Amino acid sequence: MKSPLKVAAIALAATLMSGPALAQIEKPECVAPAKPGGGFDLTCRIAQQGLAPQLDDPMQVTFMPGGIGAVAINLFATTRTDDPNAIVAFSSGSLLNIATGKFGKWTEDDVRFVGTAGADFGAVVVREDSPYQTLDDLMDAFKEDVKGVVVGAGGSVGSQDWMKAALLLKSIGEEPRAMRYVAFDGGGDAIAGLLGGSIQAYMGDVGEMVPHLGAGQMRILALMSPERLPEPFAEYPTAIELGYDAEWTILRGFYMGKDVSDEAYNAWADAFKAAYETEAFAQIQKEKGLMPLNMAGDELDASVKKRIANLRDVAREAGLIE
Amino acid sequence: MADRIFAAVVLAVVLGYGIMAFAVIKAPFQYDPLGPETWPQILTVAAALCGLYVLLKPDVSVMTMTGGTGIRLVVTIGLLAAYAWAYEPLGFIVSTIIYSAAMAFMLGGSAGRAIAFGVVSGVAGYLIGAWLLDLNLPGGVLGDWA
Amino acid sequence: MDVISGLSSGFAVALLPLNLFLVLVGCFAGTLIGSLPGIGPINGVAILLPIAYGLGLPPESALILLAGIYYGAEYGGRISSILLNVPGDAGAVMTTLDGNPLARKGEAGRALSLSAVASFCGGTIAVILMSLFGPLLASFAVTFSPADYVALMVFAFASLASLVGKNPIKTLLGALMGLMLATIGIDANTGVARYTFGIPDILAGIDFLIVVIGLFGMAELIHMVEVQVSGKLKLLPIGKSFVSWRDIMTVKWTILRSSLIGFFIGVLPGTGASVASAVTYGTEKRLDPDGGRTFGQGNIRGLAAPEAGNNGAAGGAMVPMLTLGIPGSGTTAILLGALLLFNVQPGPLMFEMRPEIAWGLIASMYIGNVALLVINLPMAGLFARMLTIPQKYLTPLIAVLAFIGVYSVVGNPFDLYMIIALGLFGWVLRKLDFALAPVILGFVLGGLFEDNLRRALSISGGDWSILVSSGNSIVLYGLAVLIVAVPVWLARRQRSRVATDG
Repeated sequence: MKSPLKVAAIALAATLMSGPALAQIEKPECVAPAKPGGGFDLTCRIAQQGLAPQLDDPMQVTFMPGGIGAVAINLFATTRTDDPNAIVAFSSGSLLNIATGKFGKWTEDDVRFVGTAGADFGAVVVREDSPYQTLDDLMDAFKEDVKGVVVGAGGSVGSQDWMKAALLLKSIGEEPRAMRYVAFDGGGDAIAGLLGGSIQAYMGDVGEMVPHLGAGQMRILALMSPERLPEPFAEYPTAIELGYDAEWTILRGFYMGKDVSDEAYNAWADAFKAAYETEAFAQIQKEKGLMPLNMAGDELDASVKKRIANLRDVAREAGLIE
Repeated sequence: MADRIFAAVVLAVVLGYGIMAFAVIKAPFQYDPLGPETWPQILTVAAALCGLYVLLKPDVSVMTMTGGTGIRLVVTIGLLAAYAWAYEPLGFIVSTIIYSAAMAFMLGGSAGRAIAFGVVSGVAGYLIGAWLLDLNLPGGVLGDWA
Repeated sequence: MDVISGLSSGFAVALLPLNLFLVLVGCFAGTLIGSLPGIGPINGVAILLPIAYGLGLPPESALILLAGIYYGAEYGGRISSILLNVPGDAGAVMTTLDGNPLARKGEAGRALSLSAVASFCGGTIAVILMSLFGPLLASFAVTFSPADYVALMVFAFASLASLVGKNPIKTLLGALMGLMLATIGIDANTGVARYTFGIPDILAGIDFLIVVIGLFGMAELIHMVEVQVSGKLKLLPIGKSFVSWRDIMTVKWTILRSSLIGFFIGVLPGTGASVASAVTYGTEKRLDPDGGRTFGQGNIRGLAAPEAGNNGAAGGAMVPMLTLGIPGSGTTAILLGALLLFNVQPGPLMFEMRPEIAWGLIASMYIGNVALLVINLPMAGLFARMLTIPQKYLTPLIAVLAFIGVYSVVGNPFDLYMIIALGLFGWVLRKLDFALAPVILGFVLGGLFEDNLRRALSISGGDWSILVSSGNSIVLYGLAVLIVAVPVWLARRQRSRVATDG
């Protein structure tokens, strides 16, 4: 645990360095569009702890579950469009929901993406005693008979988890619709299914594999990150380096309403950028099981919008949307 | 009669449910042979049969209720809806004081006692809920100090 | 490390003054939180997690506190079920069926103390089984495939056949309504939205909590108003009743059976206290020598079964989390998050790498169960006094508590309207002699049944024979047949015996 004195010192230093622009965020709030305890809660906690030195008031985390985040985006696209003090957590799953129209009429143009909390990546996992010792083994099995391997993950058709499997199959020119895919209710159930032999390959996340490393039950065949990750994942190859063009980055970050003043938007973006420079933020990120993917302000907004456009193409190709 | 009316309402709802199950719900593609529509279709058929049975062979003939009771129940629902409506804008304390006092008054408490009860439940509820247990309750009009 | 040395080192951790104090605080706070309608274990732990984290406690102490809250809330859930006929959470629904009639007979103290004993036995049996066979059970639990869950649901439905009231068609229609309610929201297999009509608030489906609070809590409130204003109100007698040794002897086999069944169901990922309490209640009613006629009128077996069952399940759900790192229920998912928050990696390695946490937590459960019994027995009389609150004040209090429960977790005013609408619906059903328990059970079991059936069929590529291709499922189908057939056979044998005697 860090000492309060140290926190105070960092806070003081940050306040002195950052200048007056930050003073205008009052009673900051992070909205987690889900129930307490899940990934969005975690995302907000990173902002709460990581931005504490940059903000004058302590940040409050509030929960707004309902409709996989649709309730929150609905509110921020209709009534709280110019709230300068609140940020809402999002993940790649939210972006996918925007791309596939799950949020109804609300799109990426109704919000402004302001900062990231970090990233996680897809992972291709099999049981330790699986006949598939390498990703090549698994992919060869797919090439031989695309229905020969039962793939499972924690999300429905069209979810991020399904996307990972679909991208992997597309990288060898197979049709995602042709595979055998089982949608479990969350990663825990899917891992149980893998260990119990109901499914042969699991499309998981790198972060959730941490507790299972070295336990001798599961084998990570490949990571779906753009490049190799730091320890404890340094030994695992990426799918891309093995010659399969399948990458899935789970981005976690925050958006605001679209009518927020540039002043307030930049104040938040600057707070994020200042936090990214600190060792403390990197530490919090690591504690919460995320890897650094630090980006804020207009750069992030543009990047996310491009990402959503990509997702829309993938979803259209897969037949998820017209 | 009451049973029949209820069965008719149920059948109407089931009809709507069934129309959606048979004509609207469809996945772009699916990996299981049933898809999202089969289970609702089965439920539609079963519920329709049960509804028809109740319609033809009802066993509760009357919903005994005097007019006065009916009015009080409508007031009860109205007060609940108003409580829900005022929960966020007025905040927990104020809305709870008003709702509790009004309910206690309607159920036969004297005005003074009803108001006292309302104040106690609103303030004590907030102290226990928001301060002791750290629950998320709306501050509303008292938001700045509550 | 073997069980004995592990446990003794665990007790050394759990009996440290600070940890002992935290177990007691956690159990007490959990009981209070659980007794509020609408706030069950899952919300209690989720809400208090940040506080526990913020206190800066060492990880094992913080987890002991959270586990105490979890257990306490599971105990506390029965209090409002018994006294007010308003279940605190989905796992406490079945407790209303016989608990509340007992309270109405003036035996609230007896019902509360008996259920505390049943909860204690369920919880303790679960912890003992967990310390002895934890890893073994967990490796069995993961072999439970989606097809086996289908069989388990069939068994659950079969054991619930006993809930059929005087009008079987109405019971069936009630269950179908629950099943239909459960289809609202995004389909777990294909991601298609069903019956959401573009309302974002129900896109992810209707929460169990909302249905329970609405159908039971708010319907009870409307019913109370009706009874009171129509002048039919009878003052409830408050006897100084307490559980007797004879009571405990009467229900000892019920408690043992229910604890085991509950524990087993809890160990399986995906099924928890609500399924466990339903199955145990149904099983006891089917096995009742009197044919279950007094169930629902204050039968102490009908009270003991679900309470032993849901506490057994609460313990069982810890098994896959601790030994495999797989959460078996919503609450253990949050506890898992708490472990990660403290940089503790649950899973097979936890017992080797952080034995003080793994065994300390288990030892604290033994202590917690004893503490809960000690706290709850004397409080039974105190809680029973709640019934002396005049109805004109008790009625609005139910709404205030229900609103706190629903709003504080979800923070969405839409849910407040939902519980009012569901309450009105539930009241109409009650007026028309529909039992409400089948509605809620249809709601709980329906989603599990549909999702797992379709999961099984996507594994097999559409081949239905997968449903009967494992030992687990064949055993469960066999049990389902037995649970329907045995009572019929018992009744026939009794009839023939009466005939030969007479």
